[in-house]
Amino acid sequence: MSKNGISRRDFLRVSGAAGAALAGATPLGNLARVSAQADTTINVLTVGDPWDLALQSVVDQFTETTGIGVNIESLGYTALQARLVNAFLTQSADADVIAVDQMWISQYADNGWIRSLDDFIAMDSDAHFDDFVPECLYSLSTWRNHVWTLPIASYAQGIMYRTDLFEAAGLDPLPSSVADAGDWTWEGYFGILDQINGMDLDGTSMYGTTVIGAQPVPVVHMYSQLSASYGTRWFTQFPEAPWDFTPTINSDANLAALNDWKRLYGWSPPESINYLWFDAGTRFSQGDIGMFYHWTPYFYLVNNEGYLTGTPSPVVDKFETAVLPTLTAGGDQVVSLGGWSLGMPSTSGNQDAAWQFIKWATSSEGQKAMGQVNVKGYQFADFSRKSNYEDADLNAIYPFLGTQLEMMKLGDGKVVRPPAPIYTSLEGVYGLQINQAMAGQVSSEQALATTQTLFENILRGNQMIPYGVESFDDTLDNTKALIASLSSM
Amino acid sequence: MGGLPHRMKLNRRLPYILLAPSIIVLLALILYPLAFALRNSFWFWNLQTSPVPLYHSGFDNYRMVFQVTPFSEALKNTVLLGVLGTFAQFWLGMGIALLLHTHLHGMGLFRALLIMPTTLAPVVAGFLFRYLLEPKGGLLSWLLVGIGFPVPPQGFLGNANTALFSIGLVDTWQWTPFFAIVLYAGLLSISEEVKEAAQVDGASPWRMFWSITLPLLRPIAAFLVMIRFMQLFNSFDLVYVLTNGGPGTASRTLSFNLYREGLVNYNIGMAAAMTWLVVIIVSVIINLYLFFIYRKREW
Repeated sequence: MSKNGISRRDFLRVSGAAGAALAGATPLGNLARVSAQADTTINVLTVGDPWDLALQSVVDQFTETTGIGVNIESLGYTALQARLVNAFLTQSADADVIAVDQMWISQYADNGWIRSLDDFIAMDSDAHFDDFVPECLYSLSTWRNHVWTLPIASYAQGIMYRTDLFEAAGLDPLPSSVADAGDWTWEGYFGILDQINGMDLDGTSMYGTTVIGAQPVPVVHMYSQLSASYGTRWFTQFPEAPWDFTPTINSDANLAALNDWKRLYGWSPPESINYLWFDAGTRFSQGDIGMFYHWTPYFYLVNNEGYLTGTPSPVVDKFETAVLPTLTAGGDQVVSLGGWSLGMPSTSGNQDAAWQFIKWATSSEGQKAMGQVNVKGYQFADFSRKSNYEDADLNAIYPFLGTQLEMMKLGDGKVVRPPAPIYTSLEGVYGLQINQAMAGQVSSEQALATTQTLFENILRGNQMIPYGVESFDDTLDNTKALIASLSSM
Repeated sequence: MGGLPHRMKLNRRLPYILLAPSIIVLLALILYPLAFALRNSFWFWNLQTSPVPLYHSGFDNYRMVFQVTPFSEALKNTVLLGVLGTFAQFWLGMGIALLLHTHLHGMGLFRALLIMPTTLAPVVAGFLFRYLLEPKGGLLSWLLVGIGFPVPPQGFLGNANTALFSIGLVDTWQWTPFFAIVLYAGLLSISEEVKEAAQVDGASPWRMFWSITLPLLRPIAAFLVMIRFMQLFNSFDLVYVLTNGGPGTASRTLSFNLYREGLVNYNIGMAAAMTWLVVIIVSVIINLYLFFIYRKREW
């Protein structure tokens, strides 16, 4: 019991319940007013990712159709989070639509900062909700059995490799489909790297691969894919109920993954220990990297010599995409699935117009329009809807969509990087330890033991061990049931 | 005559009245935030889990600062950066100031150019040097390789042994001119008669520097060193742009640690505790410095 007479657990319980109550409530304004208001202008806060460029290029189509004006403001990742949190805390209506990272959903939803979209979806058949790839909704948009956002850009992970180098090395093409993957394993992946590392290709000495090594966030994004493939799980039980956040990060599986991650670094440019996401992508597009895995937006971004430069890279038409390998031949796979979605702050005074915008930007038509934008090359293939993946026009522009969809369907954003409350703090210490192990400051064993201890300290300090708030059985099946339920209304 | 006591009263109060605006501003801008941080440092308040402080947590936040953040490493790096950076900048600045004082041809132009690095935002300087130090094609790395200087394969910013020194190098490039200009102004203020008297007594230039120039520059130098040390102690921009605190914790500073906890992890309680720890550490260092510098003098 605190000095204020409120126990910690009670307070957490009340906060959780408040979030859930807010989700269930229907402060919809008036859903009958779904028609556009010609004199309305909404403010949209987004992040400066490639999809934002595509969205800004087609947003006039939305205004022409609905008469609703749109002001889009793009910020960097940290600036966006700081701006949003500040606006939420001061209860100021800073924006009507916001870009939400999948890791922010639990925080925003439980604090009542964004409102659930359940009722909008249920009462608007134009939303075609069942067209979404369930794994995308599950990973990016749902929390405690409510839909809080809709995906605007979904990212899985996959492989890019140089076909000319493979040909020179006498290697077979890699599988672009899970059905053809056969005995495609991580050990096979490492074997290829060992073979191509140091090869000379048209006068260029090739590195086998490149890692994304900068701490803490970038390295976790890439490392967690390898680690999840090896069977690592962060917690004793999450997202299945009952949630038990006792960490399981110091496992044999993760130790094997970290040791192999260090092998990957050995086949990479030494400076990649400081690489951010686009550093690795740019390095591949500059032509001295044989093969690497990354977020799927790089399937098209590497066609540029630099990040969004518009200058064709030397690897255009010299690379292919492939599915990720598994730990054992034909074994289970889990793919990192992340990205951005659009949500509505509870403080928005234009909720109907905001919904119209979210619905349009995440619709099959809106996404196709974004995919067909050709500014500095085609810059958007991060679709979340099945219909977009089946679209012939889009497949002609982005021939890798089949591979990407297969990776999406194996995606689980709640396991690879679990969006539990205080994820950011955990990611901070985890990324630092992986980076220290790469730098040789600590051994793999020390890095994971320290991570385990720090996880426990952070989770206990934040009252998550034991977890006092009601759990939810947050499974893909439950999301599929939610999709069915909201689609049938 | 009846008006005299009233005027005396007014005269007595006048200093307080005139000081009042400054005191109010001081309270509002310095003491209130510090008091607010002190209060929050004893509360559990993490914006990732709750928009309001949840409960009184005693010294838990202070304990957690040491348990879950690399505070000790950050403190060591910060002190190292502060001491070595200030030392290097002071002596380089002194050398340049003495050179400027020689009235050689072209010194006017040199003085004008000298101030330019200090006008750059640290973020801009950081980006500039990030490209210069890039191991694959960076101009500085290329030049160093050309003269046979060993460049680490990860680059200066990617190597745990050189990352912090690289940050110090960029800071030194940017702020040495500040020392030079201010010390040059100090040299100009030294009376010619004193120097001439020493010359008449047969003092060598070396002796004159140590026994006359440096002691007479002492008030201004002491102030400069203190200001720059405090600025270096709060280094953030260059760390953020150049190394993001890495590799590992090799270049993590206290300010960067604070930024991560407050603006990335949103643990307001712990960030407040960290703030107070930094305030205490800086206050101790600065007061010790002032004690040793000013103990035998009154200026």
